[in-house]
Amino acid sequence: MQTRNRWLTGFAVAVYAFLFAPIAVLILFSFNSARRGVAFQDFTLDWYPRLFQNEELIDALFVTLRIAVVAVIVSTLLGALLGLGLARLRFRGQGVTETLLLLPMVTPEIVMGLSLLLFFLQLFGAHGSFVQLSIAHVTFCISFVAVTVRARAASMNPQLEEAARDLGASATGAFVHVTLPLIAPAVFAGAMLSFALSFDDYVVTTFNAGVGNSTLPLYIYGRLKFGVTPEINAISTIIVAVTATIILVAWRVGAFRGEARSSPA
Amino acid sequence: MTGALARLRGLALILPGAGWLALFFLVPLAIIFVVSLGDRGALDRIDLSSPSFDNYARAFDPVFLATFLNSVRFAAVTTILCLLIGYPIAYWISRYGGRRKVLLLILVMLPFWTSYLIRTYSWMIVLRDNGVVNSLLQALGLTSQPIILMNTELSVILGMTYGFLPFAILPLFVSIDRLDPSLVAAARDLYATGRSAFVNVTLPLTMPGIVAAGLLTFIPAIGDFVTPDLLGGPETTTIAKNIQVLFLANRDWPYGAALGFVLMVVTLAGTLVAIRTLRREVVGS
Amino acid sequence: MTDRHAHDGSSIDLEKALVRYMVERRISRRQLLETIARVGPAAALAPVIAACTASPPASASASPSATPGASAGSPSASAEPTPLPSPESELFIYNWTDYLADEVIASFESSYGVKVTQSFFSTTDEMYTNLGTDGGGYDLSFPISVDIPGLIEKGTIIELDPAFLTNIGNLGAEWANPGYDPGNAHSVPYMWWTTGVGYDTARITDELTSSNALWDARWANHISMLDDWQEVFGLTLIQLGYSANTENTSELDEALARLQEQKPLVRTYSTDTIGTMTSGDIWIGHIWGADRYAIQEVNENVVYYIPEEGGVKGSDALAVMSGAPHPIAAQLFINHVLDAKNSAANTNLIYYMGPNAAAKEFILPEILDDPTINPDQEIVDKLEELLSLSQDVRDEYLSRWQQLRG
Repeated sequence: MQTRNRWLTGFAVAVYAFLFAPIAVLILFSFNSARRGVAFQDFTLDWYPRLFQNEELIDALFVTLRIAVVAVIVSTLLGALLGLGLARLRFRGQGVTETLLLLPMVTPEIVMGLSLLLFFLQLFGAHGSFVQLSIAHVTFCISFVAVTVRARAASMNPQLEEAARDLGASATGAFVHVTLPLIAPAVFAGAMLSFALSFDDYVVTTFNAGVGNSTLPLYIYGRLKFGVTPEINAISTIIVAVTATIILVAWRVGAFRGEARSSPA
Repeated sequence: MTGALARLRGLALILPGAGWLALFFLVPLAIIFVVSLGDRGALDRIDLSSPSFDNYARAFDPVFLATFLNSVRFAAVTTILCLLIGYPIAYWISRYGGRRKVLLLILVMLPFWTSYLIRTYSWMIVLRDNGVVNSLLQALGLTSQPIILMNTELSVILGMTYGFLPFAILPLFVSIDRLDPSLVAAARDLYATGRSAFVNVTLPLTMPGIVAAGLLTFIPAIGDFVTPDLLGGPETTTIAKNIQVLFLANRDWPYGAALGFVLMVVTLAGTLVAIRTLRREVVGS
Repeated sequence: MTDRHAHDGSSIDLEKALVRYMVERRISRRQLLETIARVGPAAALAPVIAACTASPPASASASPSATPGASAGSPSASAEPTPLPSPESELFIYNWTDYLADEVIASFESSYGVKVTQSFFSTTDEMYTNLGTDGGGYDLSFPISVDIPGLIEKGTIIELDPAFLTNIGNLGAEWANPGYDPGNAHSVPYMWWTTGVGYDTARITDELTSSNALWDARWANHISMLDDWQEVFGLTLIQLGYSANTENTSELDEALARLQEQKPLVRTYSTDTIGTMTSGDIWIGHIWGADRYAIQEVNENVVYYIPEEGGVKGSDALAVMSGAPHPIAAQLFINHVLDAKNSAANTNLIYYMGPNAAAKEFILPEILDDPTINPDQEIVDKLEELLSLSQDVRDEYLSRWQQLRG
């Protein structure tokens, strides 16, 4: 057991290094005095103050965050219920619902983006609102949450909740105290996937964003014509730094312990 | 608790999500399906006066076959690599993560809360002729000329594997972490070797997670065109890129929609067959 | 709508001087008027200002707050009480990222009291899709000039009111009456560029002049072409001695055959030439002329030439959308961009030449003296503009492009 542990740990370290390699490069190049290129010229901090003067970039970041928050909350809620329901239920329409679940994932992004654009134009004669963009993001996130939760719930013993009910728990009580803690890690994982999907989406967003709703990816891709400058590295570095700090503080405070304990069944 | 009541409660769980997808996904999809039956009219308008399946016949143009095979190959290799790398990591986090489990899981996701484009640019800095890898190789005296890493199938697979790895790790973790360690211990008593305990107990029991991870990797990967576009070369065009060109450059929405639907049906059919097969095997064992 | 003051040379010059002063000092006309009212001596200016403010469409610098300010601050405001449109409080621009200098937007905002909101696209195809038939809620965008006739036909863009465009005279003579939009009736040119070949003199010591160099097997695996069907076919057709906009399918077949010959040598079809030519990947590439500056920032060995067979040129225009919620502000903004200093500020940011003759004195000498950004007329005459092709012709190009790329 001990040797296997060491082998696995070594492998894990290598994979984390792989995951963070481009992030290290990204951070390094946010301090590069050269505007472009693969060579590191001189160390500079100039890109950071410049970033804060760039109103459009900051606006784009906040639009992105607002949409991601809405997308994560709504898609996690709907997706988790959907995944749970599908795992539990044996009913005639199940195959259909399952196909429905996979469809948004097999739909090429441009087809989904343009179909929503047409939908909003046909129905409301207008497009590009914050609500529309949020709806679009929720739509492509739901399946990712549902598939993740379904996998967890499928391997869960359905008699557990019944046992709790037999012991006198109410239906809600059994759900909150038995089922929810069991699927919590999957819900959490689904929420994280949703955040990453929403935060980075380009294709669907470009056809559903309107005035005042330009997200960070739209801003960054719009710059491709003239080459991307280290300002973008700087803002990515800040996002990573802020997120990492929040996570570490939360961990020190013990915010994740409840979940960690509940996960092994 | 009666079966009917349980069914009712199950339906209540499904209804909001299914309703949302029906309204904001199926209805728009139906609209674009109607579009796929039309013709491109004057001034880029869509002409629906004589609906037909002609666009679907055109979608089977052999010119798209090569790019479709590219998409399938890239997605398949990416999925296999993601599962091979993701499973041990998910297993390691679950078994040895201890109190740091959630932290380790978030760390897997952290790189993906930056920008896709910038991450890809970072890979370019690593892979280009004057990039990190080639500079290192030359500094160590291992090579004298740069090895071409960028704009190859290798760089595409690397970029895609990197991009989809978290989509494999998360569902794998969720499923492995569900596993009761006492079951594995019991299996080890039965089978003696760790390997056969793994193959006969752990692997089958985590099959739902493997299926989910495979789906979350393969399906988006087959529709990926940005990674092959940015990291690939002349021979790495994918079918999703063809669809993009039909919609935006040709401005032929009916044709683009038809090709999109063909891709969807093929992907969906393949996926459903794969799921059924895997499930039957799990049930069988 | 038109006001004789707008065409009265003396008042225009005075007005320009005032606007420039305000832009530089970042003060609004209201503030200026109040200052003038307070400081007696300047009262002599009041009639001119009042005349200008009372006719905003004619005087580009009128701000929404100007009319009340004028009537309160100067008694002569009653001289022309005609009700005239003043700009709306907002302006929605759909644009490339960093295609307009920050200071140009800031000076527009402060002198007209308009809040500017920009949204971004990364390809023109995306732009056209989102603009649709009425502009998709945006006021102003940057279509490629050759697409202007199509946008007029679709009803996407409106005819501009010449009364707003007091600075139109700043355009160079060659831009006063462009073929795609006679008399600049629906659009105003913004920036123009050429497409040609860039190469790294550290790797390639030959003196290159022809586009055939992109087919040279000595540089296999280090050749790039733009990921743009019209540019790639344009270059190849010109090389073969045909028009870059040919409608002859056998000429297109010939071009496709030529490109398929080249494909095994090509490392990548990409528009990221700044990235590929600064990293050693690409020694010779089909590039947009203006990108050469960004490339040289990192790799000064890269030079750019327009092939002796001829090159391609193109330009972007500013146009106002038919569904624009703020058409007045949009037209005033176009006029603001036409201002010599503002036009120069934009060129100095992105290193593309504008069509603004009056701007030249404010453009950085390094841009002005660079023959690849600002080529001699002799070279310009050899350039062919890529045209907006009919659907059927477009399909002929694109089906061959898919064959090449697929």
